[in-house]
Amino acid sequence: MTTSNITKKDLTKMAFNQGSLGMEFSWNYERQMHIAFAMMVNNNLKKIYANDPEGYKEALKRHVEFFNITPQLAPFVGGVVTSMEEMKARGEVEDEAISSIKTALMGPLSGIGDSIFVGCLRVIAVGIGISLAQAGNLMGPVLYFLLYNIPCFIIRYFGAHFGYNIGFNYLKKMQENGLMDKLLAAASILGVMVIGCMSKDMVWTTLNIELSHVGETVTTLQSILDGIMPGLIGLGGTWAYFFLLKKKVNPVLLIFGTMIIGVIGAYFGILAG
Amino acid sequence: MILPAILIGLVAAIGVLGDQMGSLYINRPIVLAPLVGLILGHVEESIVIGASLELFFMGAVSVGAYIPPDTIVGGVLATAFALSTGKGIETAVTLAMPIALVSQAIGNFCNVFNSIILRWTDRYAEDGNYKGVVFTHWLIGLITVVRRFLLVFFAFYLGSEAVGNMINAIPEFVTNGMAAAAGLLPALGFAMLMRMTINKQNIPYYFLGFVLAAYMGVPVLGVAILGVILVLVKFNFLDKNVAVAAEAVQQEVPEDDDF
Repeated sequence: MTTSNITKKDLTKMAFNQGSLGMEFSWNYERQMHIAFAMMVNNNLKKIYANDPEGYKEALKRHVEFFNITPQLAPFVGGVVTSMEEMKARGEVEDEAISSIKTALMGPLSGIGDSIFVGCLRVIAVGIGISLAQAGNLMGPVLYFLLYNIPCFIIRYFGAHFGYNIGFNYLKKMQENGLMDKLLAAASILGVMVIGCMSKDMVWTTLNIELSHVGETVTTLQSILDGIMPGLIGLGGTWAYFFLLKKKVNPVLLIFGTMIIGVIGAYFGILAG
Repeated sequence: MILPAILIGLVAAIGVLGDQMGSLYINRPIVLAPLVGLILGHVEESIVIGASLELFFMGAVSVGAYIPPDTIVGGVLATAFALSTGKGIETAVTLAMPIALVSQAIGNFCNVFNSIILRWTDRYAEDGNYKGVVFTHWLIGLITVVRRFLLVFFAFYLGSEAVGNMINAIPEFVTNGMAAAAGLLPALGFAMLMRMTINKQNIPYYFLGFVLAAYMGVPVLGVAILGVILVLVKFNFLDKNVAVAAEAVQQEVPEDDDF
């Protein structure tokens, strides 16, 4: 009924239309990013089913089903879906195939996306941003914004085209030849390295317990700790929280617990910020 | 007083609208606090407050089933009160978390409306009424925008004086204690991020990053650059064979037409 009439321009537009960019705007518990996803692919659906109003309606309905992904990778799925909808219009695949590929992409891509964007890219951007902002430098917020968002927008663009042109098979090949695992491992190494650095630099509570007071020289527990290893509190604190979280302690409880400890510590003059 | 309150409300609105402009992650104190400072006229101080609150909310990212406290309202209002009362960072970190939690609770309540709106979405989609679908998208989104705007506007417009009095009534050891807690809470944030990324293979790199900072004083940017170099070498990303293999996959696949 239709020949392939999706152009490169259509794909680029899809990567930056209001559905694609608004993936989290209408996020809801029930079906999460489903509305925005339908909006992202809508123009392509309209084009593919230009002579088939019923087909268009079905396709629109098909894409207001549950969807969730790291938002920057949504255009990739949009590209894959667009190429599959073309096949569907030509009668080459069933509609269930489209839905199941979409579902199959969600899980693994969200895992990859969270590691790369939240666990690595944002950690680096926020670490650099904070270290400048702490000195009152306006470049802190600016660099944070740019370092995070420029790669994100580049990936949106290439994702849409990659998804359409080589799509699902490429992802499968990447998984098979180990490239995907390498990328994931690389992103997580970068992420934890920067977190390691930040657990030294950005935890500043001090233990002011006075151990000895000889003439003018006051020795506090903190100065001894610093002599052994600077940043020991950050290191110990991070891992203590890590194991508490692993034991499924509620983060909100940990926040309040920390506040109570802080206030008690400050009352007795042991802790200082 | 009403104009700054409106403008500060708009800062919160911009924070939410970042989700319509490509999930820009501008819903964070590091971005929003300086905007508040621009309105209230303490830019440099607000940048420093933004950095502290960003660390304070380090763990407030939605990963898995955990719904984080509202960093937008918490960050914006805490910064605004800290600047308007002239009390600085300690006040900001004292106020941020309680406000963020209250706002999150209000948000949870407002989400009830979504289940009604989503029925409309389904009906519009069934009719092939695309404009209707778009309408529900903006309706759900704008409810959250307006909610944040109103919350921040009224809290700042009506609450400034009360908050000022309240802060004056808080004993000093409590604010000191909150500052001490704020110095420790980034560690919780790091731990939450680590839950996502750390595994047996990359634990040594955590300590590498720590040691670089602790004993050599390498700043974050330096550690990040070292990390990139390390990863490039470790995984042979610069190796010609890897690049060729990746290209080969790309060229080979398009001929592979059968799904």
